[in-house]
Amino acid sequence: MKFPPPLAQKIAFFVLFVMTLFVVLPVLFVMFLIVKNGIGAISWEFLTAMPKQGMRAGGILPAIVGTFYLVAGAILFALPLGLFAAIYLSEYSQDTWLNRAIRLAIINIAGVPSVVFGLFGFALFVSFFKFGASILSGSLTLGIMILPVIITSSREAIDAVPGAFREVSLSLGATKLQTIRHAVLPHALPGILTGTILGIGRAAGETAPILFTVAAFYLPRLPQSIFDQAMALPYHLYVLSTQVPNVDVKIRYGTAFVLLVIVLLMNLIAITIRSHFRSKKKW
Amino acid sequence: MAEFALTTKNLNLYYGRFQALKDVQFSVAEKKITSIIGPSGCGKSTLLRVFNRMNDLVEGVKITGEVNFENRNIYAPDTDLLKLRKKIGMVFQRPNPFPISIFENIVFGLKIHHLYRESKEFLYKFAEESLKSVLLWEDLKDKLNHLATNLSLEQQQKLCIARLLVVKPEVLLMDEPCSALDPISTAKIEELMQELKKNYTIVIVTHNMQQAGRVSDETGYMLLGELIEFGATQTLFTAPRDKRTEDYITGRLG
Repeated sequence: MKFPPPLAQKIAFFVLFVMTLFVVLPVLFVMFLIVKNGIGAISWEFLTAMPKQGMRAGGILPAIVGTFYLVAGAILFALPLGLFAAIYLSEYSQDTWLNRAIRLAIINIAGVPSVVFGLFGFALFVSFFKFGASILSGSLTLGIMILPVIITSSREAIDAVPGAFREVSLSLGATKLQTIRHAVLPHALPGILTGTILGIGRAAGETAPILFTVAAFYLPRLPQSIFDQAMALPYHLYVLSTQVPNVDVKIRYGTAFVLLVIVLLMNLIAITIRSHFRSKKKW
Repeated sequence: MAEFALTTKNLNLYYGRFQALKDVQFSVAEKKITSIIGPSGCGKSTLLRVFNRMNDLVEGVKITGEVNFENRNIYAPDTDLLKLRKKIGMVFQRPNPFPISIFENIVFGLKIHHLYRESKEFLYKFAEESLKSVLLWEDLKDKLNHLATNLSLEQQQKLCIARLLVVKPEVLLMDEPCSALDPISTAKIEELMQELKKNYTIVIVTHNMQQAGRVSDETGYMLLGELIEFGATQTLFTAPRDKRTEDYITGRLG
């Protein structure tokens, strides 16, 4: 069957539009559902109190705080490591089989299922290094998981800095290290930050990597040290939804709502930083 | 006899198998403007980049022969590359200020040579002197915190020269510094070059013969990696010795 071109044009446009709609609709629907059912649960008490009556009442403060600690720890570990690796790969590494293997490995890490990270973290940090189920183990595990995000986005940001900047700097008698420090990194910073924040968003929402390494089922107090177990929002949500009978739907959705807001907020900050710097840069 | 700032001897340069410079031999007179002209791809930019060893950054470059600066071969193994590049600075084809403030651009050189001091007076005075030396102070004195990349191209190029003068070079290498500029801006840069000539040795690569004729004291004509002819600008343009030079300057080639 053949359509006349203008009609084919319209059909194609319509089909593409509907496909796009299919992509966006589920996301919007999920958000709508969570916001609609969750926003009612939000109160000062919900955000700042300990859970009570076996998590069927009270607040979710320890889960919020736990997620915050875990994410902060993951960044503390992954940002320097990832940034230095990115600098090495972009500015120093030659095209040898070893460096190609490293690059391939980084891409592959990004594709590893998160539950594998959880088991790996359990084996290495909890058992082998004997950190136990603790914020330390959980942070390190999450850190490893977001390393590829940070390395990849940092590399992209570093590679996007025009070669002319390096040339000028070197021609003025700067060392390679000075050139990276003064002529490359300042201009790559927005991209690096964006990647880091996206990493944070990812780390905040993951359940599997913290399942065996840190997450406490029910711990109605704030963690005292990095060797403490902690509650975390995604795992708490999982527990509320599947492990505890008779939990008010409102509390479940409220928890999901808080997690969603945190992750969206992170992404919003990332986008704002990026567009702010993008409007400034001219090359 | 004039003092020479740079002297090349049997200079050959290869990009892999391709020979980009063939037995180039000439001298750059001190505190004069020397221009190198020739059609695209003749190796004139490559020659310029020999002098501050920026070619080192290109993979697969091999250089034979000598380039003497201050009585030393800069390709000798014990050359301090950082010192060399500090003394022999470069102005690039496209104005390339960093996308940071005018002031930050000026003090960039101070930072990398550990001359930066936190005193406001010192830095302000410093910015003033630097911008005055490139005839920009009057235009920019109230805009030091503005983004350098928002300036006109002429101002950007002058700022790049100021940024370079900060590290106190002796030789300025200019790689077609006006090719991104309009004729009026070009004239302004040329005016500045005459000013700079009093204190600096300048080597300029240009595809613009009129420019070479206007600004330089001595001119070399390059073709396919060879320095065909080198001599006083006036002579080269009015009475070229070589047929190939004549063809080029009369417009029969390129």
